[in-house]
Amino acid sequence: MRVMVVDDHPMWRDGVARDLGEAGYEVVAAVGEGGQALRVAAAVRPELVVLDLRLPDLSGVEVARRLAAYDPQPRVLVLSASGEQEDVLEAVKAGASGYLLKSASKEEFLEAVRRTAEGDAVFTPGLAGLVLGEYRRLAAQAAPVDRPRLTERETEVLRLVAKGLSYRQIAERLVLSHRTVQNHVQNTLNKLQLHNRVELVRYAIEQGLDGS
Amino acid sequence: MVVNREKAGDAWGRRGAARDGRVGGVTAIEGPFWRVIAVFRVASLVYATVLLLRAGGYAHPATGWLVIGFMALWTVATIFAYSDREFHGWPLLMADMLVTLGCLLATPLVQGAYRVGSLPVTGTWMGGAVLAWGVYGGRRVGAAAALIVSLADLWLHGVRGMRFETLPINGTVLLFLAGVLVGHVAKLARQAEARLQRAIEIEVAGRERERIARDIHDSVLQVLALVQRRGQEIGGEAAELGRLAGEQEAALRELVRLRPEPPAAGTADLRTLLQVYGSASVTVSVPATPLTLPAATAGEMAAAVGAALDNVTRHCGPHAPAWVFAESDGGAVIVTVRDEGPGIPEGRLEEAAATGRLGVAQSIRGRIADLGGTVTVLSAPGEGTEIEMSVPVLLASH
Repeated sequence: MRVMVVDDHPMWRDGVARDLGEAGYEVVAAVGEGGQALRVAAAVRPELVVLDLRLPDLSGVEVARRLAAYDPQPRVLVLSASGEQEDVLEAVKAGASGYLLKSASKEEFLEAVRRTAEGDAVFTPGLAGLVLGEYRRLAAQAAPVDRPRLTERETEVLRLVAKGLSYRQIAERLVLSHRTVQNHVQNTLNKLQLHNRVELVRYAIEQGLDGS
Repeated sequence: MVVNREKAGDAWGRRGAARDGRVGGVTAIEGPFWRVIAVFRVASLVYATVLLLRAGGYAHPATGWLVIGFMALWTVATIFAYSDREFHGWPLLMADMLVTLGCLLATPLVQGAYRVGSLPVTGTWMGGAVLAWGVYGGRRVGAAAALIVSLADLWLHGVRGMRFETLPINGTVLLFLAGVLVGHVAKLARQAEARLQRAIEIEVAGRERERIARDIHDSVLQVLALVQRRGQEIGGEAAELGRLAGEQEAALRELVRLRPEPPAAGTADLRTLLQVYGSASVTVSVPATPLTLPAATAGEMAAAVGAALDNVTRHCGPHAPAWVFAESDGGAVIVTVRDEGPGIPEGRLEEAAATGRLGVAQSIRGRIADLGGTVTVLSAPGEGTEIEMSVPVLLASH
């Protein structure tokens, strides 16, 4: 698994890279700036990017958005000291598949990397709260056209994640398989990211039509 | 009421000036007013000269030209004096008024017997002092100046024993209008400038705060998080140090968190109140959009959450993990506090209530019930406790 680390703090960058190396990942690049990250990623084609939201040049959100257009698209795990809910939500909508606070332990971090590498969404309680809030914000908007909706089961699962239950605990409580819980969580994210892409395209078309 | 507002406004203007480090209660906005008054004096001086020439020097041309010369000297003096803030103040205003009265009262010496409809030798020049008083002190000071000059003017006419019906009050009315209007406008301008100044200060303070937050974010928080992480890995005493670093990281992060905009008066964003509880062991999950509630409601809900978290600490230990989750489903704001402690045995709550001991759950119920909300306690031995508080939100309050 080829991994790239993007963090402007050298101590963090080295520490994270070392942890990943010890855990058997191939760290192909460790950079400290957003623009540099995009250039290097185009050359070394990482499969997974560990991304800090706070960067000196581009915002982490912008980096996540542009990485989502790469082919093959790298999976992005946001690792940030940031408590900025809006930034985290934007990064996830732009294509990041998980978010972890920097205060998480090494074990939690490696577990999150493993799950991201497998293509799973990494939902902390904080992220679940943000995503649930975003669906409700969209539901309250005036235009009902093709806005994303959660099924009742998905809402139920997300609420339990937000309350700090592990997938195993949720599976037990709802009498579901672990995999099913995982799929529900993944779906909530996929729908939100799809909606975000549709909105971006619609915005681009509107701008284009206005310009002509 | 009007009087109060004016006083407050005045005080504000002066304070703004003091902050600028300027003397005499003059703010930068007054500059253009003084320049306009200078233009008025020069134009009026020309007008008075034309009147003197047209009248062939009146009865006593030599005295007439003497007065005009004195007016010219004073015009030049005031242009310089009022443009320098050092000279601003009552001494200059009093001198201005005395010179104006002197020139005005010299009229009989120049014109001889008063003729109906004629202007005094100063012409409109006597308005300069009224305008200066108005700009300096506002509309009431302007009115006082207009009263003084008008009385002198009327007294000139009155020396000839004039009757009230034929008293020329045109000049008086114009003087009052000029003094009051200019005073009022100058005061408004000063207030506007003070407000602008204050807005700029707030903006600068906000930027400075943002800069500090960014710096702390990029340096201190990163290191604290790193210490916490490495401490946990090393274990032993280092783990305790790491835990302390983690607590400080969470507290500092909350302190420097950028708040997008303060909620409207009388309301509060419940998220802000709940995030204070976040720590290494307490995870707070909220939406990205504000949970706006009446300030009192938000405060009560946050206090109820605090009570629930205290309870977790009491029953499960100081570092027991707990989760706080706040959400809004349109009609209600729901906050859930969950722990993974021993849980509450069935019937325990009812038993406590029956024996008259009001447990913490009861105090939470009380608080939330007062807000018209409901509390649901979900617990089983060994499975932790979940306290869900739901408070209805009136759509009107959005």
